[in-house]
Amino acid sequence: MGLKDVLPGSGPSATSGGIFGAGSPTFLTSKVDWIINWGRRNSLWPMPFGTACCAIEMMASAASNYDLARFGMERMSFSPRQADVLICAGRVPYKLAPVLRRIWDQMPQPKWCISMGACASSGGVFDVYSMVQGIDTIIPVDVYIPGCPPRPEGLIYGLMMIQEKIRQESLTKHFEHRAEDPALVALPRASDLEVVGLTGPFGNSTQQEQLTGGVAVRAESPSDDLLS
Amino acid sequence: MTEEKKSGLDAIDEGPTASDAATPTGGGTAGDPADHASVQGLMAQFSDAVMRHRVNAGDQHVVWIDAARSHEMLTWLRDDPDQLYDMMSDVTGLDYGGGRPVEVVYQMYSTTHKHILRLRCELPLDALEIDSVCDLWKSANWLEREVYDLFGVTFKGHPDLRRILMPDDYAEGHPLRKDFPLRGRFSRAEQTRRALNQEVERYYLAEDLDTGLVPQEAPTAEVRRAEDAGGDL
Amino acid sequence: MSQKTLEINVGRQEMGADGLPVPSPIAPFDIPEPDIGTEHMLINIGPQHPATHGVLRLVCELDGETVKKVVPHIGYLHSSFEKLGEYRTWNQIVPLTDRMDYLAPLIYNCAYVMSVEKLMGIEVTERCKVVRVILMELDRIFGHLLWLGTTAIDVGAFTPFLYSFQERERIYKMHESLTGARITTSATRVGGMMADLPEGWIDQLKHFLDTFPDTLAEVHHLLTGNLIHIGRTQGIGAISAADAINYGFTGPNLRASGVDYDLRKDRPYYDYETYDFEVPVGEHGDCYDRYLCRMEEMKQSVSLLRQAIDRLPGGPINVEDPNISLPSKTDAMSDMESMIHHFKLITDGIPAPEGDCYLGIEASKGELGMYLVAEEGSTKPIRWRVRPPSFVNLSVIPKLAEGHLVSDLIMINASLDIVLGEIDR
Repeated sequence: MGLKDVLPGSGPSATSGGIFGAGSPTFLTSKVDWIINWGRRNSLWPMPFGTACCAIEMMASAASNYDLARFGMERMSFSPRQADVLICAGRVPYKLAPVLRRIWDQMPQPKWCISMGACASSGGVFDVYSMVQGIDTIIPVDVYIPGCPPRPEGLIYGLMMIQEKIRQESLTKHFEHRAEDPALVALPRASDLEVVGLTGPFGNSTQQEQLTGGVAVRAESPSDDLLS
Repeated sequence: MTEEKKSGLDAIDEGPTASDAATPTGGGTAGDPADHASVQGLMAQFSDAVMRHRVNAGDQHVVWIDAARSHEMLTWLRDDPDQLYDMMSDVTGLDYGGGRPVEVVYQMYSTTHKHILRLRCELPLDALEIDSVCDLWKSANWLEREVYDLFGVTFKGHPDLRRILMPDDYAEGHPLRKDFPLRGRFSRAEQTRRALNQEVERYYLAEDLDTGLVPQEAPTAEVRRAEDAGGDL
Repeated sequence: MSQKTLEINVGRQEMGADGLPVPSPIAPFDIPEPDIGTEHMLINIGPQHPATHGVLRLVCELDGETVKKVVPHIGYLHSSFEKLGEYRTWNQIVPLTDRMDYLAPLIYNCAYVMSVEKLMGIEVTERCKVVRVILMELDRIFGHLLWLGTTAIDVGAFTPFLYSFQERERIYKMHESLTGARITTSATRVGGMMADLPEGWIDQLKHFLDTFPDTLAEVHHLLTGNLIHIGRTQGIGAISAADAINYGFTGPNLRASGVDYDLRKDRPYYDYETYDFEVPVGEHGDCYDRYLCRMEEMKQSVSLLRQAIDRLPGGPINVEDPNISLPSKTDAMSDMESMIHHFKLITDGIPAPEGDCYLGIEASKGELGMYLVAEEGSTKPIRWRVRPPSFVNLSVIPKLAEGHLVSDLIMINASLDIVLGEIDR
């Protein structure tokens, strides 16, 4: 009988009730959630996956002037095993993609991901043969920070958004949010069609769910024309 | 280059176009070899292997030489007491597109005589080979690897000619050629799938090690080549 | 296994009756090495690693802690700038140049447009020349400060990192007031600059120059005579002058080996021959000499900046040729011809003569070469090649690190001052 069975709202005990009683979050669970989320969000240990210019702005955020230490994030954990939030700062070429994916897989739950900068979010200036057009094709991203590079205030705002996201988490929904299929390790996060959607023009736009006309997922690339 | 365009933005989208000059001169002015001691020396020593000499951008002397004798001429340029080009600043490739030969450009500097020289060798598209100058200047090692990677020029005699910037098993071709599209030959989905299928440990080749002891049983280069040839690429 | 002789002197030597020292009962004696089977280890450093200064992968073969062989793998940041450049007009390439060496972006901005201007035969105004010298020297300090901070942190000294980043913040503010961006400045254009120096910028720079030498002196005090730092850097990664030239070393790395080659003195541009500055040249070619060269270079840059500020002339910043520089907004909005020039310049670009041009300048890391090939009337380059100093500098690491310890490998890597953005382009 694991934790899954005693938490309300999940598993076979949904109606039978567990330690904390049946039904939606109770007073006790919300207090437990509050304490756990408070602890988590105020001591996030970032995993700085810095590649290019954004990494320099990340270093500047960690330095004295913008000081990430006041958020509890001065301990930049370079080992993914001990990190909470992966900050992907900078452009990611396809040669680096398996490294990023492996580091994400090595991070234990709970983990979040920040895509810092235009290149990590969507490929940025580099719509070229070697550049991953947005790391969300490879790993799931929680917060995107636009900018080229974003100012340290921008990075801090993104980190605060992660903190906000954590504030709204709940142990009752923990296993839905954090479920990871071991079979999906080292595989792209996005399916082929999703990759096509994310990497096309305006692919990351929230207004647009489908590319106009659609682009076939075949081995040959389409013509070089920007607006096909 | 002076065609009518629908709008200026199309000019940007179309990217690089093939040259329409029938017999390009290589630019600049005809130039007087007497202005540059090395050019004079080259023409005196290897008169049949020097194809052309121009002076570009005001004062930069450029010499086109025969690719077959490039190693001989570069050795002379390094060792001759009046030349002494001890620093190979840059080795790069140049593809005009449109069927024109691919060029290998050497940029050299002498710290003793303080002169610079640029040499260009034209390589026909069906025989992209030239002698490596790694034995003359160690700086050419990585520079030539890059030209191989991005242009497909083979350097004969290079100790370690393999891709340097692209992944070792990159299958889309040589990126800086003009017939290579900007976004690559495969679709993004295919590129993502291939990227994540890379084995990061494949770089541990037994040939990288002096000792022959391979703690992690990495396959040798022959095994890799056999895998690549027989297996799925 | 091999026999090793270990001499141990315990206390003072006693002298016997015959005038010779009495042999101590426990010294000298031979310690035979135990016969254990050893293998070389294969260790992978990077590409994600705090001490590799970017996404660099070093595959090391180690005998215990000694590096027997190290093979660097690059390409983890390959963004194909050179191919992108073929799709952009001359001025559109300027934003690309910041993103290559993001530690000293103004140097790249200036180097690129200098090469284009040489290709096209454009002579910039006097004010523009001095302003570019100011920006290049300022970014030389900028790049060296980051090298200082990260190298110190690689050997465990955290304080210089914070000090250097604090000084960098002041330069960031200057970048920002000049161009609007902290790192990706894109400050230059063909024929001039994006904009002239704003009011009060020179005063900001003077204030920086007044207080920066004190910080530099503090870091000197912390590191230069520090026995730990000396122990970590002296004798490590030494290279002879002849080898350094053959391997293509340039910049402070080359000068630390005793070769007096600085492009500002040997192939001067923008009247550098009229400025009064010295080029520090080292002796042993090890990490300590490279450290000293760069520290001294920062001091010389301060002096260069003061001289440049003193001789800053007035006048226009951009070339007054409407076919090259954009007309002012007021002109473009009021005068038809200016509007047409503005339109043509933005949409088509500046046509170039046929030819090629290689211009090498002294960047903070070494000889930065920009090679451009153009065809008659082309508004985009046929080939834009960047000769990055760090690319050639990094290729020497297998030779430098052989025989040293792993921690020395990290120090050697740091002392070479590489930036992966320009290596991988």
